[in-house]
Amino acid sequence: MDVHDLVFQGADYHYKGQLDEAVAKFQAAVKLDPKNEYARNQLGILYAKKERFNEAFGEFQKVVNIDGRNTYALLWLGILSLKQGDLDQGFEKFHRIVEIDPSNADAYYFLGAIYNFRHNTVKGMEYLKKARDADSDEPDTHYRLAQAFHNLDMTQNALLEYERTLALKSSHTKAINGIGWIYYNRGDQDAAITEWKKTLKVNSKDRDAIFNLAKAYNDSAWEAMERGERRKAVSYWKKTVGVDPKNKAALSYLKKYEAP
Amino acid sequence: MDRRSFLRALGKGFVGASGIFLCPSGVAWGKSGFDYALEGQNLISAKRFAEARDVLKEAVRLDPKSDWAHGLLGRACYGLGQRAEAVSAFREAVRLNPNDTYSRMMIEIITQKPIDRLDKPVKPLTPLEKAAKAEEEAMLGQLRSDGGLAYQVKRVVIDAGHGGFDPGAVGPTGLKEKDVVLDLAQRVNQKISAAGTIKSFLTRTGDYYIPLSDRTVIANQYQADLFVSIHINANENRNAHGCETYYCSEKASSNEAARVADFENAVLKYDEPFKKTPGYINVEEILFNFEQRLYWEESGNFAGTFQDHFEQVLPFKSRGVHSANFFVLRRAKMPSILLETGFISNHDEEAKLKEAAFREEIAVAVVKGLIHGRA
Repeated sequence: MDVHDLVFQGADYHYKGQLDEAVAKFQAAVKLDPKNEYARNQLGILYAKKERFNEAFGEFQKVVNIDGRNTYALLWLGILSLKQGDLDQGFEKFHRIVEIDPSNADAYYFLGAIYNFRHNTVKGMEYLKKARDADSDEPDTHYRLAQAFHNLDMTQNALLEYERTLALKSSHTKAINGIGWIYYNRGDQDAAITEWKKTLKVNSKDRDAIFNLAKAYNDSAWEAMERGERRKAVSYWKKTVGVDPKNKAALSYLKKYEAP
Repeated sequence: MDRRSFLRALGKGFVGASGIFLCPSGVAWGKSGFDYALEGQNLISAKRFAEARDVLKEAVRLDPKSDWAHGLLGRACYGLGQRAEAVSAFREAVRLNPNDTYSRMMIEIITQKPIDRLDKPVKPLTPLEKAAKAEEEAMLGQLRSDGGLAYQVKRVVIDAGHGGFDPGAVGPTGLKEKDVVLDLAQRVNQKISAAGTIKSFLTRTGDYYIPLSDRTVIANQYQADLFVSIHINANENRNAHGCETYYCSEKASSNEAARVADFENAVLKYDEPFKKTPGYINVEEILFNFEQRLYWEESGNFAGTFQDHFEQVLPFKSRGVHSANFFVLRRAKMPSILLETGFISNHDEEAKLKEAAFREEIAVAVVKGLIHGRA
C-alpha cells in the first residue's frame, strides 16, 4: 500500500477515535517512510492518548531529529516536559519554537502560562498578548491573559479578556467567576452575585462559585450586623446556607441570632 | 452546492450519464458555484494551480457553504505554495464539514512547521476596548519585570486562624489562640504595608469566625501570590513546645502529618476539575497539574525559609517543616503555608505569647521570612 494511503487512513481512523487502527496504519507508514514527519507526529499524539508517554516522547524527538524546525513536535515535547514536571525543558522548547516561528500562538500561550504560574504576570501578559494577537480564537488564551491583567489590577483589560473568553466559550466558568471578583472588588456585590449565579447555572457544583457566593453573603451579613440590622443579617446567612449548606459560620450565627 | 447536494442532484437525474449537468426545466441557466468548483477540480488535476485558485475563489464566493469548494481552494493554494491561504481554506472546509478528513489532515501537515499569518480585518473598537486601551497606555510604563522564572510575591494574604465562636486552642491560664493570632496577623500586616513593596491583606480584622473555605476564597479574591495562615499549636502533652511550618504537598512528610491531613480532609470531598476521558489528552489538565505541583514546590521553599527565620529569631525549639495533602491549602491558587508559632498548651510558651514584645519578635520573623522567601 502507498504511504500516502496509509497516512490518510491513519488520520481517518484517528479522527474517528479508532486509536489502535490508527497506530497500526501510521506504524506501517513510518516503516515505508521513516522520515515521514506527519506520520511520526501522529504516532506521538496517539501514544500520548494511550498514556504511553515515553514512546510519545520518542516519536516527537525523532521528528525533531529529522527536522529541527518541526514546531508541532517541539510543542509536544514541551507539553510532555511539563507533564513530567520539568519546567526548564518545557520552557526551553517553547522558546525555541518562538525563535523559529515568531508568530506561533501555542508556544506564546505556554510561555505566558508558565510566567503566570511563577506570578511574573508582567511577563505573562506580554507573552499571552502575543498569543492572542497571533490567534484570537482560543478561549483559554483570553482567560489566562485576563488573569494576568487581573493580577496587575488592570481591570478594564481583565474584564475585556474575560468577556472575549466567554464570547468564544460561554460555559467558561472560571472567566465568569473572574468577572465576579472584578465587580466585587469594585464594591458592586449584586453584580458579582449575579455572575457567580451564572456559573452555577452552567455547573451547579462549581465549588469556586459556591464558596464565592457564601463569602459574599457572609460579608453582607456582617455588614448588616454592624449596622444593627440583625434580621437582614439572618436573611444573608440563610442565603449562605442555601448555597453552602455546611457553612460553619452561617450555621453557627443563624443558631445564635435567628431565635426571636 | 456541496458534494452531498451534488450526489442528491445525481439521484434526481439532474446530471446526465456523461457528467454533463442537465438544467431542469424552469431553472435559469448560469454558471454556478458548483460549476466553478468542478472546473477548479479539473484544473488542479492538470496542475494548473493558479487558474484553479482563481476559479475556486469564484466558486466559494458564489457558494460560501460548499466545504468541497473550500477544500479544493485549499489544494490549489497549497499547490502554489501559498500555505497560509491553503490552511485558511482547509479550515473553512473543516468548519463546514468536520468529517472532512483530507482537509483536517492537510491543516495538520502544513501547520507542523511555521506558516505566514494572514492579515486580519481591523474592526472599530467597542467602548470596553477603548477603556482597556486607555488603561493599558496608562499602566504599561509603570510595569516592570525582571524577566526571570523565580517566583514573584507582590501580594500576600495573612490569615489569622479561628475567631469568633471558635477560640482555637486555649492555654493553661486561658490565653486564646484566636486572640494571639489576630494580633500577630495585624502586626505582620502593618509591617508589610509599611515596607511598601508588597501588598498585604487580612482574612479577618476582628473577633469573628470565617469558615476555612472563605479564607482561601479571600486569597483568590485578591489574586494573592502567597497565603500565610498563622496558628498556635497545642498538645495534650504540656511539655510539647516549639514552632513548625506546614505546607501542602502530594505526599505527607510523616505519618503524623498524614494523619492530621486525613483527619482534616475526612469531611470534605475533593474537587474533580477535570474528568478523565479515555483516548483524549487534556492540555489544560496538564497545565493545571503542573501549576499545582509548582505551587506545592514553592510552598515548600517558603516553608523552609520561614522556619529558618524562626530558628534564628525565636527562642523556641524548631520542630521543622512538615507537609501533607491539606484540602484547605489545596484550594488556594498560590503557594500557601501554615505557621505554628509555639505551643499555647505549654506554660512557658503561653507566658511568652502573652508578651507584646515577644509577639513583635514573631511578627518580625514572619516578615523576614516573607521578604527573604520572595524572588
